[in-house]
Amino acid sequence: MRLVECVPAAFMLVLACGIAIGTSGLNLWDGPTPGARFFPIILAIAATAVALALLFAQWRGFEKVELDFPTRLGAARVGATILALIALAAGIPLVGFVPMVAAFVALMLILVLRQRIAISLMATAIVAGFIHFVFVRWLSVPLPMPFGI
Amino acid sequence: MLDQLFIGFATALEPNNLLFIFLGVLIGQIVGALPGLGPSAGMALLLPLTFGLEPVTAVMMLAGIMYGAQYGGTLTSVLIAVPGEASGVMTAVDGNAMARKGRAGAALSISAIGSFIAGIGSVMAVALLAPPLASFGLKFNAPEYFLLALLGILAIGSLGGSPLKSLGAALIGLMIALIGVDPLTGTPRLSFDQPTLMKGIDFIPVVIGVFGIAEVLASLERIESVQPIRTRLRDMWLTKADWMKCRFSIVRGGAIGLFVGIMPGAGASIASLLAYLTERKFSSTPEDFGKGAIDGVAAAEAANNAASHGAAIPMLSLGIPGSASTAILLAALILHGIRPGPQLMMQESVLVWGLIASMFVGNLFLLILNLPLAPVFAALLRIPYVYLAPAILGVSLVGAYAATLDITTVWMSLFFGVLGYLMIKFDVPRPPLVLALVLASLMEMSLRQALLLSFGSPMIFVERPISLILLTAVIAALLLPVFAAVRRRRDALRAGVGTGR
Repeated sequence: MRLVECVPAAFMLVLACGIAIGTSGLNLWDGPTPGARFFPIILAIAATAVALALLFAQWRGFEKVELDFPTRLGAARVGATILALIALAAGIPLVGFVPMVAAFVALMLILVLRQRIAISLMATAIVAGFIHFVFVRWLSVPLPMPFGI
Repeated sequence: MLDQLFIGFATALEPNNLLFIFLGVLIGQIVGALPGLGPSAGMALLLPLTFGLEPVTAVMMLAGIMYGAQYGGTLTSVLIAVPGEASGVMTAVDGNAMARKGRAGAALSISAIGSFIAGIGSVMAVALLAPPLASFGLKFNAPEYFLLALLGILAIGSLGGSPLKSLGAALIGLMIALIGVDPLTGTPRLSFDQPTLMKGIDFIPVVIGVFGIAEVLASLERIESVQPIRTRLRDMWLTKADWMKCRFSIVRGGAIGLFVGIMPGAGASIASLLAYLTERKFSSTPEDFGKGAIDGVAAAEAANNAASHGAAIPMLSLGIPGSASTAILLAALILHGIRPGPQLMMQESVLVWGLIASMFVGNLFLLILNLPLAPVFAALLRIPYVYLAPAILGVSLVGAYAATLDITTVWMSLFFGVLGYLMIKFDVPRPPLVLALVLASLMEMSLRQALLLSFGSPMIFVERPISLILLTAVIAALLLPVFAAVRRRRDALRAGVGTGR
């Protein structure tokens, strides 16, 4: 068993510990009634049991492990997309939603996905127009505007 | 019941509702045709757009996406051998083999007709079965609801894939739902004094992230340009021999699909696989299966559409979603202020019967879209996916923001998008997480209420007859995967001994 295969079980164990520690100030029982900590503790115990069972099953080969990791290029593309998404979310309060989405789409198409500039800009204009007409005009969603206007 | 159905049709046939049913099935058709973007992702992305609509209109539109995607998935399966979703895998095998023999039109035709017949049959079953099941559901109390919700979650784990990982995903969903305040006492829980967390984790960013963003991230790993096989309108005609071969395949596929769809957790993928394998046994030409069997395509497509409708039965009658798509539909009801459960059919009869009637209308729209207009949709497949991916990401984040008008929702969507992507990579199924998130509140409330009723005694779960039956089913759902794993292991060992290894 490779170490990377333990990640799902380890994540569940960390989450279970977090739940147990995070609810430590709450009551398990309030008199005859199960308290606010009752269900979280049951879940934490169940998650620990399932995580340990998963580790055991993987170690003994009962559990088929099919990891499908991307190629280096694929991973770079996904990583760049995640970074662009983070930049998009961070820039929304400053630059506004529609301009940021337009910048994101253009950046993704031209720099990350290496598409032709003219077609990419056309696609960007279509997406920005769609968001403006559907969300701002039709649904009247108050999307953050450029520079907090 | 007929009176109710007529009222439902009156609601569904209102011009505004007709427009949104059409929009729903059209979006479903497109979403189903896009590889890597299934009905759950499509519904999740469109959910925020429904907030300005009447609840009945919103639910009709979202349901349209759910079953419309089953029709749309056929296009990519037949024309480029890339199923839009897992339920189209069998169609991708035989449908594409037919297309390579110059019979793409026939494959698309029989898929549309099979889906239509099975869809209409399933909607009739929904109309017939949901009311008595809802009446039965009125006998349920807290212990039964807890066990029913638990059964729904466990059933997903016992059917296909890794049961432990499915169960783990469900537990992650349940643990995420704990964040916020305790539903009974109002005590802040796992919110770490953060006002944003105090409101709890909203369903929309989770579902947009886990399905929408995660799917697009995974599809960006490999950008392939596949040219679809061309099809023309005149190729869509079926021969008499095709009809004779497929008529019972559609009936059998539809019946299997409906049965599987009703079962929590089974879903359209298992339905289509089961129908395909059954059809091979019944077929007069089983040797054609895998090489372009039209009866295999008919059965698989009838089954996946019937299953997507059948999943509405437990959702409408008991408030228990059987699949990720119905979980989103249920969440839409909750977000529109409607409480799901057995009372739904009585308290919101216009909505329920309107939804059922809309499924008849939507299937008719889809038949029209898929028979004469199939070549038009086939042309849509020529748009490179690479242009759609950034657009889907951008629009999904706008949708997430529109749902709450809070920038935190955008960050949460990103977080759950990355989590969903990692779940794909580590082969952890995502539907149990979403299903558990929807059922978490019902599970916790009913468990604690049950224990309150019994003064803390767990015997309440065995003392009540319905509860005892459900508990037996829960234990069976827990043990079934264990027995299956032991049997698989034993068979593998025997095979190893047999081959001298």
